[in-house]
Amino acid sequence: MSIKTSAHSPLVADLASRFQEAPWLVQQRERAFALYTSMPSPKLEKTDLRDRPWLVESIPSATTGGAGAAAQALLEGAKAAGGAYVYVRDGVTIETSLPHSLAKQGVVLLDLHTAVDQHPEWVRRHLYSVVPAEESKWAALNAALWHGGVFVHVPSGVRLELPIHFIYEETMTGKGGLPRSLIVVEDRASLSFAEAYLCHGERQEGVVHSAVTELVVGPDADVTAACLSRYGKGPTNFFTRRAKLADNASVDWVIGDVSDGFTVGLVESRLEGPGSKSTTRSFGVGYGRQRLDFTASMDHFGHHSESDITLMGVLRGRASSTYRSSTHIERGADEASSEQHDRMLMLGSRAQADAIPMLLIDENDVQRCGHAASVGRIDENQVYYLMARGIPRAEAERMIIWGYLQPLVDAFPVEPWRSEVASWIDGELNLR
Amino acid sequence: MSSPVLTIEDLRVSVEDKEIVKGLSLQIKGGEIHAVMGPNGTGKSTLASALMGHPAYSVTSGRVTLDGEDVLAMSVDERARAGLFLAMQYPAEVSGVSNANFLRTALNARRGEGNELPVIKFHRLLQQKMKDLNIDPSFAERYLNEGFSGGEKKRNEILQMSLLEPKIAILDEIDSGLDIDALKLVADAVNQLRSPQTGFLIITHYQRLLQYIVPDYVHVMMQGRIVKSGDKTLAEYLEANGYDTLKRELGIVDETVGAEA
Ligand SMILES: Nc1ncnc2c1ncn2[C@@H]1O[C@H](COP(=O)(O)OP(=O)(O)OP(=O)(O)O)[C@@H](O)[C@H]1O
Ligand SMILES: [Mg+2]
Repeated sequence: MSIKTSAHSPLVADLASRFQEAPWLVQQRERAFALYTSMPSPKLEKTDLRDRPWLVESIPSATTGGAGAAAQALLEGAKAAGGAYVYVRDGVTIETSLPHSLAKQGVVLLDLHTAVDQHPEWVRRHLYSVVPAEESKWAALNAALWHGGVFVHVPSGVRLELPIHFIYEETMTGKGGLPRSLIVVEDRASLSFAEAYLCHGERQEGVVHSAVTELVVGPDADVTAACLSRYGKGPTNFFTRRAKLADNASVDWVIGDVSDGFTVGLVESRLEGPGSKSTTRSFGVGYGRQRLDFTASMDHFGHHSESDITLMGVLRGRASSTYRSSTHIERGADEASSEQHDRMLMLGSRAQADAIPMLLIDENDVQRCGHAASVGRIDENQVYYLMARGIPRAEAERMIIWGYLQPLVDAFPVEPWRSEVASWIDGELNLR
Repeated sequence: MSSPVLTIEDLRVSVEDKEIVKGLSLQIKGGEIHAVMGPNGTGKSTLASALMGHPAYSVTSGRVTLDGEDVLAMSVDERARAGLFLAMQYPAEVSGVSNANFLRTALNARRGEGNELPVIKFHRLLQQKMKDLNIDPSFAERYLNEGFSGGEKKRNEILQMSLLEPKIAILDEIDSGLDIDALKLVADAVNQLRSPQTGFLIITHYQRLLQYIVPDYVHVMMQGRIVKSGDKTLAEYLEANGYDTLKRELGIVDETVGAEA
């Protein structure tokens, strides 16, 4: 049963009372909930959402069981990589850990509910400022009902060596994960964070997961934002991750998805400041009946802003992915430059891939805008060459596939997580 | 270790339903060097590819055995592990796979499970072999053949040969694109491997290579067959006179595969 349009949603009311939320937040939630209920489930260019159900029934206040194997491995990885992390399961914050060395520098790392209490001005200023409720039905859903979330604040000039980790795990207890990460990095500061979203989705038809990451990056600050996701079959999954960059700020996204779910995802940088720079490196591995509609977008507003997108997808089974790289050079973004590279590799005859490069240019004075896209299968000549040196076919194919993926996986900034992802990929591609 | 024998009997090979190799027999024993010469398009590379098992080439009849084992029943990788090696005329490029990683995987596949070479030993061996072939150490970490010049690719093929120590090495135009110094290095590598444990089939257009690697036998291929065999003086004769005299002697007008005698 889905929730009827209501200015006083019982779910918003439930969250408001559970977390004793401030009126400004409750109002924002109510407004977003109204938007969510009024917005249709759309037909996108490549993905029809009109028949997808939106089962949004209740918000669990507790979670059962322990961390799953993947979450456990990532938790240990986060501890090994310095111990700055937040672990949320089924929307419930299980653990928040901030090493003294970071706290001493004035870094704030809190679950988002606590941050609303302790740092209301910051949260109020930035929450919804990068991903507003009105941009999509699923952004509105998250804006209305987010629970479990992270807030990070890095003060001016503080350059962190240690990465910060967020692990969001959705078990079968949850009725749809709606996590929200809000990261604010002040001028001249530096941060590397890694976020993982793990969903055990099996058989949960109708459930909707919608994750949102808002990243505010001040002048001359730089951020490496690394995001992993694992979506199972059954639910409808959305992720919306966006950074807003001030003058000379830089953001490097590293996005990895290893899934067999039905997913619509967006990663975007708004290059507002002059001289701002952003890169997106993304690798996706799809299997089973995975359906992914992924967009990596760069929106140039600032003079002399630069961007670079590299997308790599490997698909097996009946997986079907659309990878869109989209660059928009707005008027006023003179001397902007951008590059796009998309490569899709299909294993077997039933996998499908689409690479769609998009370039929208509203400014006459553009430095360079290049794109290259390829969709193909494993090159049999390469397989033959490796086999001619005694390497069995399966191992030869594994080497070639990893040849594609390795440079992108290597871009993932946290080593223990990198090896965990590598094992997911080997497992799902039957490469072990 | 006994000396290997590769036996090719009345081999016929087709590509896309067109017969290219038309009944070819040849025996190569360990310690022997056989040179195969012949004009362009006469089936030399087709023979080499069919022996290695390239999927585009189908063997329609004939037999190939290595030490009595049926080569044609083996997959490409099994042939390699059995001791067959082909230095290719056009080696593939594989992005993202480092040369060193490839070589180590290949060597360990050849050595077999449980008999892998420890990493340190492998790197020491690799460095030595690279030095012998005057290959810059940076090539170990470069992606396999990617962006290599023609000559660098050929030297990389020879590097693989000397690491893998095959029983039968087939070298297809290993001399093309090599400068004179590199030619000598390649010849040295072949001569170093020359022993009763290894037999060679060397496909070349030029007598020059055969001055450094002196063959025991020279065969001339035309129209998908061996039309004449001799010793090293045959190569010298061809170098001096070209193929025309030989064609006249044999009554061949068009030597390429499509044409009939
Ligand atoms: N994969 C292929 N597909 C189609 N035709 C082929 C293929 N391989 C070989 N051929 C044809 O078979 C014939 C013999 O080719 P092959 O490469 O064996 O000649 P070669 O003697 O090695 O010549 P070269 O001296 O030029 O290297 C040619 O007509 C060639 O076009
Ligand atoms: Mg040839």
